[in-house]
Amino acid sequence: MFGDSEVKLRSLTDAAGIFRRNDRDRLEDEMERIGIVFPQVFVAVYTGSVGEMANLRQFGFWLLNRGLFEDVPVEKPNEAGILIVIDPDSKAAGMTFGYLLDPFLEEQDTFDCLSRAHVYWLEGRYTEGLLKCLGQLRKLLKKRSRQARRDPERYERKVATPVAVGDLVRKIREGNRPAVVKSEEGREVER
Amino acid sequence: MVMARVEPPLPAWDAAERSEMVEDGWMAGGLLLNFESVPGEDVGEELPPSIEDPTAEELAQPPEDEREVAEEYLAAYFEAKPSGHLVDPQGLLATRERKDLEAFLAYHSGDSSIDLYVYVFGVDQRIPSDVREEEIVERLYSVGKPAAVIYYYVGAPQRSVMYLSPVITDTVSAAEQRRALESSVMQAFGSNIPFDQFEAFLVQMSIRIYWMERMTKGTAEETMESIPDGENARSFSRKKAVLEKAPEIPSWMKLVGAVMAAGFGGLLVLWSAVTWWRGRARFRFPEYEVEPRLGGSHAAGIGAVISFGSPAIPPALQRNQVPDYMRRA
Repeated sequence: MFGDSEVKLRSLTDAAGIFRRNDRDRLEDEMERIGIVFPQVFVAVYTGSVGEMANLRQFGFWLLNRGLFEDVPVEKPNEAGILIVIDPDSKAAGMTFGYLLDPFLEEQDTFDCLSRAHVYWLEGRYTEGLLKCLGQLRKLLKKRSRQARRDPERYERKVATPVAVGDLVRKIREGNRPAVVKSEEGREVER
Repeated sequence: MVMARVEPPLPAWDAAERSEMVEDGWMAGGLLLNFESVPGEDVGEELPPSIEDPTAEELAQPPEDEREVAEEYLAAYFEAKPSGHLVDPQGLLATRERKDLEAFLAYHSGDSSIDLYVYVFGVDQRIPSDVREEEIVERLYSVGKPAAVIYYYVGAPQRSVMYLSPVITDTVSAAEQRRALESSVMQAFGSNIPFDQFEAFLVQMSIRIYWMERMTKGTAEETMESIPDGENARSFSRKKAVLEKAPEIPSWMKLVGAVMAAGFGGLLVLWSAVTWWRGRARFRFPEYEVEPRLGGSHAAGIGAVISFGSPAIPPALQRNQVPDYMRRA
């Protein structure tokens, strides 16, 4: 629907033209700050009309997978990206994140971040709303980082590959086999 | 060209026509064309104002100068050597002001070998001409501790006059005295408030007297003009401290204050350190291998979408749920 080729863009792309120059500076500062505090992560913002037929989620998914963010360091791949898409025409906004953050972010977390901006966006104050959203995102990422440091298994389990039924049976058999061997060996020793 | 340079002739009256108009009583442009003077108005002779002549009694009695110090105060001023260092029989200073200045002069007297006596007068007052100030100083201040006598006019420090006891006039030249007075007046003009002027004047004069004292003892080799600024400032602060009369603070209060200040300082340092440390803190995430979904090579984390089309509906109700097919298996 959106194309197969890569799309070159900056981390803050205001295709809708809703930010003034000062606003862009403020937003870029905040986005850069997040990139410093979380050295693995970067934040990208895209504003533009997605179109009536398109879906904002699909667009966000496509852009984060196809986007080539020119001003993002090469050591930060799109897996570490968090993309916020704002469509001022349809008055909707969405958030998409890469595989690096997949274990740590839930749909509810992204909703909490976006809802911080809701009041401002209702009044057309996109910059203030986005700054609030990014502020909430920063808090959330800090919290998740601490939690992941304390209990890494919890998040590892969330992304673990589900075990197939056949594999499970095999594991059980493998787990029982040494015990049988051991018992036979024990009998030989007794003899 | 020649014709253009010739000036046109001026208009001239015809003699007959002019005489007719003169007879009529008015002639148009007559004043301009005939250079006749404007006829003066008929003004009556000015009469001298009717003022009554002074009476014989008035002529016999000289006019009283209200600016002179009233005779009733003269005795209090000049009859005898004053008991205090501040002489203000007219009560020109407020009680509090007088007490402050008396305290300062008393301190000066205890600290210096030259007393400082100040006679206070009003801003535009005059000492009667029959009072000879020099004679009074010689009479009252020849014996005993040497003194500097100042006649100070409240609100007009530039009118101040200074006299020294005869004992020290030989040592301190008239030029030095004048410079001391000028210096004090300059200090006084640092403020517009009469009392502040008076106070500044006396403080500076006290400093100057300190150096006069050294000159009388022969310890001051330099003149007062070469007094270092630091000395002035030191003397000023020393004597100013007496005026301020700071209340004594109990030692336990000082201790509590010091402990509180130290505690507050410690907290401030701790807070600064925590803020600095938080600012430098970096947060990392463990990297797990995530199975790609939906054909996305980099991302498949589909988050929420909110709509901000209607202010009447809260964001929770405008939230579009993620379709099931996009959820993680």
